[in-house]
Amino acid sequence: MYNVAVDVGGTFTDVLVFDEESGSLTEGKVLSTPDDPSRGVVEGMEAVCEKVGIGFTDLHLLFHGTTVVTNMILTNTGSRVGLLATKGHEQVLLLARAWTPGPLYGWMALQKPDPPADPTDTIGISERIGPDGSILTELDEEGVREAVAKLVDRGVESLAIGFLNSYVNPAHERRARDIVREAYPDLSVSISADIGQEYGEYERTLTTVVNTAVQPRTMLYMRNFESSMREKNFGGRLSIVRSDGGAMSTQAVSERPIQIALSGPSGGVTGSAYLAREMGVPDILTFDMGGTSTDVSLCRDGETPVRRDIQLGYFQFKSPAVDVHSVGAGGGSIAFLSASGALQVGPASAGADPGPAAYGKGGEAPTVTDANVVLHRIPPGVALGGTLALDEEAARKAVETVAEPLGMGVEEAAEAILAVVNENMHAALRVVSVERGHDPREFGLVAFGGAGPMHANALGRLIRSRSVIVPPTPGVMSAFGFLSSDIQNEFPETYLRTAEETPAADLKATVEGLVSQADEWLDGEGVAGENKRFDLYADCRYYMQNIQIPCRFELDELKGDDSAFLRGRFEEAHRQRYNFDLPDSPLEIATIRVVGRGTIRGVSLVESEDRISEDGSGSVLREDRVYFGGEWLDTPIHYRGKLRPGDNVDGPAVVVQDDTTTVIEPGYRGTVDRFGNILIEEDRES
Amino acid sequence: MTTQKQALPDFVREHDIDHVTLDIIENALKNIRHEMDRVLVTTAVSPVIREQADEFPLIADRKGRMIVGQFGSPVDTVLENSPYTVGELKDGDVIATNDPYMMEGSTSHLPDILLVRPIFHSDERIGYALQWGNLMDVGGSTAGSIPIDARSIFEEGVRMPPVKLYNAGKLNEEVLRFFCHNSRTPRETRADVMAIAAGTAAGAQRVKDICDRFGKDTYLEACDALLNRTRTSIISLIRQLIPEDQTFEFEDYTDDDGLGNGPIKLKLAMWREGDTLHLDWAGSDDQVPGPVNFLLNKEMFQMFAGVFLISAVDPTILFNDGYADIIEVNIPDGSILRPKEPAPLSNRLVVMARLFDVLGAVYAKAIGFNVSGSYGTSPNFVYSGVKDGGEPFQTMEILYGGIPAIPGKDGLDGHSWWPEFLAVPAEYMETYYPMIVDEYSARRDSCGAGEFRGGCGIKKVYRFLSDGSITYQDDRAHTFPYGVAGGKPGASSRKTLIRKDGEEIELPSKVRDVPVYVGDRLVFETAGAGGVGDPLERDPEAVAKDVRWGLVSPEAAASDHGVVVADGKVDADATASKRGELRSSRGELPGFDHGDLPALEEQRRVIAETRRRFNEWLSGELGAARTNSGG
Repeated sequence: MYNVAVDVGGTFTDVLVFDEESGSLTEGKVLSTPDDPSRGVVEGMEAVCEKVGIGFTDLHLLFHGTTVVTNMILTNTGSRVGLLATKGHEQVLLLARAWTPGPLYGWMALQKPDPPADPTDTIGISERIGPDGSILTELDEEGVREAVAKLVDRGVESLAIGFLNSYVNPAHERRARDIVREAYPDLSVSISADIGQEYGEYERTLTTVVNTAVQPRTMLYMRNFESSMREKNFGGRLSIVRSDGGAMSTQAVSERPIQIALSGPSGGVTGSAYLAREMGVPDILTFDMGGTSTDVSLCRDGETPVRRDIQLGYFQFKSPAVDVHSVGAGGGSIAFLSASGALQVGPASAGADPGPAAYGKGGEAPTVTDANVVLHRIPPGVALGGTLALDEEAARKAVETVAEPLGMGVEEAAEAILAVVNENMHAALRVVSVERGHDPREFGLVAFGGAGPMHANALGRLIRSRSVIVPPTPGVMSAFGFLSSDIQNEFPETYLRTAEETPAADLKATVEGLVSQADEWLDGEGVAGENKRFDLYADCRYYMQNIQIPCRFELDELKGDDSAFLRGRFEEAHRQRYNFDLPDSPLEIATIRVVGRGTIRGVSLVESEDRISEDGSGSVLREDRVYFGGEWLDTPIHYRGKLRPGDNVDGPAVVVQDDTTTVIEPGYRGTVDRFGNILIEEDRES
Repeated sequence: MTTQKQALPDFVREHDIDHVTLDIIENALKNIRHEMDRVLVTTAVSPVIREQADEFPLIADRKGRMIVGQFGSPVDTVLENSPYTVGELKDGDVIATNDPYMMEGSTSHLPDILLVRPIFHSDERIGYALQWGNLMDVGGSTAGSIPIDARSIFEEGVRMPPVKLYNAGKLNEEVLRFFCHNSRTPRETRADVMAIAAGTAAGAQRVKDICDRFGKDTYLEACDALLNRTRTSIISLIRQLIPEDQTFEFEDYTDDDGLGNGPIKLKLAMWREGDTLHLDWAGSDDQVPGPVNFLLNKEMFQMFAGVFLISAVDPTILFNDGYADIIEVNIPDGSILRPKEPAPLSNRLVVMARLFDVLGAVYAKAIGFNVSGSYGTSPNFVYSGVKDGGEPFQTMEILYGGIPAIPGKDGLDGHSWWPEFLAVPAEYMETYYPMIVDEYSARRDSCGAGEFRGGCGIKKVYRFLSDGSITYQDDRAHTFPYGVAGGKPGASSRKTLIRKDGEEIELPSKVRDVPVYVGDRLVFETAGAGGVGDPLERDPEAVAKDVRWGLVSPEAAASDHGVVVADGKVDADATASKRGELRSSRGELPGFDHGDLPALEEQRRVIAETRRRFNEWLSGELGAARTNSGG
């Protein structure tokens, strides 16, 4: 049997097929078809199936990552949402959190988008739940009926309900939803208590509204996708990849489309974490450098890191997502000089159109890709993405525009551009490592994305990582990650009780309730009992702090008159990150979370036999001149497809493959390991 | 006025550092500042820091000059006023202080604490990491330590002269215990001080990392080069933008000092002489008996003046103390901006906020970049008392209002003028404190009309669930946020206390320890902001949208903007005729519109009378108070 992963991005749709028998991976890339993404998916799958020599009927598991929700949010093209809010709080989305950016006078620069539910389509309902869940004002049921009639009459296509304190007691939201469903059975309705179980009316309402806005088109997309798969006689299991790296059915997506808002970027991290576990290097930094931005993350013990919120443009939503830190630094980032003469790179990007000057599509601004072309880090004659020929002269001309005012030669300026952009990405890696109390020297750096392997050696050198790991398929790492996903969902509940005053039995009752919810959900996803797993977390903080540090525990630890056993776990993490603790402060359990997982094995790595190490000369295509550290050096250009496990590649060297090039700097050595990864480490012999 | 040209600063010279290394170090330093922010905001516990981010980090060079930050460096002042000499400082020392007079205004009231940590690398002092934070309570005569009727600083809380909070890495437990003991919120105060210290530690460690990486000497050279680079850019901005031989002046008023004195004038004049920009506060009112005196630190004001230019022209310029010698500031002794010890200072925010309005207006005149008047201050609101179970509680919340309009852009409604501050969620306040937020909305018709309208203020209605008392400090109740270039002023602020039995009491803009009881409500309305440009030129569709969104009433749309809106849509014909009618009946549009205010003498009388009547009412209330849970 075969498993397949499909990652639909803005430009390309990546397909990766795994052969369960031989363990081999086959990749393919086709252009995305934004008007109807499933067309690109089918084309891509057909192309790769043909390559492998199989049909859709041979496919067992299908994992699909999609930007359909992301794009709808970023372009505000979801459906028109009506909002029922607590009377007196109708402008919750307009007032937001009153945030304006720094520094002083930063508000001058803030371009704030309109609320995702137009205030015109927002109606206040007389009702009120207190902070303890008590009912302060009964729900005005007639008011709900009238409001919905008015909104439907105005043309809203779906409805969100966000009442204050509903996370403690959802009775009013549920009742209002039932009233709406009675009157308008076809109107899609979300309530905020289902979307977020944490305090913070703005974030919860925003998340609910956006979930509602993207719901109708997401459901349509899922239906179309399923039917196009059925037409092709695909009879296996279809899973959609979530922002937190898990997977779930299209049915589950239709209820919570917001949970797949960062579907794509999660794959690279879960894939790297999986790879790292298999390689026995469980602590890694991931480095995913694309055209406009770079995503980095830190995985410990082979676990994918998850955060509680996601940022898309101006908006921040409450939804679990892989904890990646993004910076506006990528191949398309533009270099310029500020008024004070400082060389800066990004966050402005040339994007895909016109793209870097080297693309020859009319771009004139110097980009990071242009700098790489000037320095031959992308060797002349190599086509980007296998198809796009590069215009070296145009790249030189673009870089000249900053070289001249800096009084530098073109190569020197190109190296300066790389140094500055590398520094921005280095800072991002520090945010997820050093700033959180981790020593990068204990971590491997897994590099992928179109531009990642080109900059990986430099970043590994800057952050002083243990080694740099360039996986065999760095261009389709997300798809690889999808194949390693578990069926997964999380069930949180706001707790807000201090550990010292919470009898373990109380905590246990809450946890068991959440476990049974998770269990039921996994049943619905068709996961068999022996494949189920439940991870339990208490997200803790010192009383009233703004953080939540996840503390993992097991059910059998819950005994005794309190839950103070969590304190040690919390304080260890707090000390590591912030270097102090507060012995007098009570420990507050902010949230209890149960993550339910169902293991479905989509991929397993096959190790090759150990092999006598060789010098890798068999893979050399030719020699070229590549610029390193102020001079042109004779540099062999290797072809990745011909590198074999055990081969050594001494820097300076450039390894080319279809979708990326890997740069090995002078003084470094690349070694191909048993899984086909290139490991780059300082060459201690030279 | 004559200017004595001083010698050029030592960093003005050729620098032995390559361009790329310098750019990299500049980036790294900017990142350090953000990291210091993150550490503090995530680990602090009081809502002002944790939910509202009222804190500011800074990295200074070995001579104490700010390399990155926002407020200008007070390192010299801290050391001069401490028993410590530079030479005796050790790795792991942290100096803490909250005394504004000793700090010459670097901290400008007692709730602001400043921590200074020298940074060492290979046994040499290479700089300082500093962080300010707003503590919830430092004692004094009222909860939150901003007694709006204080007559001297001794009523405003505990004063801590520069002391070593850490000595070579060892926490000075005794001094911290003493300090926190004077606070009504000792646990929060302690946690916040620890969090601020952790922020400076993060900053110091990162500067050491840079030295490890590039070498200490390279780092020190980079600091000088960065100061020089910023100085050069600011000189060029000033030369480009500000015409020579012309003086630009503006004055505006703060309502009152909390004791019945007001309005209080702030007057600023600006002119350029070669590469030097002069800013002169002569003509501002004298210091006042009440606590709105704002001890303005010269270095800090130099920084503000440069930051405005940078934000308006090129936000990528790093701001630092490099331009300190080219901005000449005069602040008359004994004025509202340079009061003499022991004048009370706690409520200085209202004057500080007006200072930014005045600075913006002077720049508007000088560079033609029109910024309207803002909501005036970011009022603190404190509600304190004892819960049913006997546990004392004390809230502290900062509220926001209308953001000014600028050319091409409406002001934001109910947003923070201060960078990176946040509104506190109602669900947070209700969870931890005995109150219900009945309403939180944008205040209709509080925005100043204009081609670009000002932001609306907010209306927040609190319902109290425990007996207690309330204290707040607002402004712009007697004056209006001005409009510019034909724009109209925004609405002034208003507070109404509604007793459980329905009795309504209009409260002044500043009160302390007003007793409240279960079931009482406070209606807190902040000011809007002024508009920019002729309201009759505003896009009628934008006006209709404001009406649909409930920000502007149909009546105000017609009378202020000449736009007739029916059923949420523009009536084009009626609008054309309404606008024609308004155009023909109005006079010339003023450059600045301060609103319909009575003569100054009359304003003074009204302000004094308002306070007198309120005091009378309050003493009646206190006499009849059913509990004494205030302060």
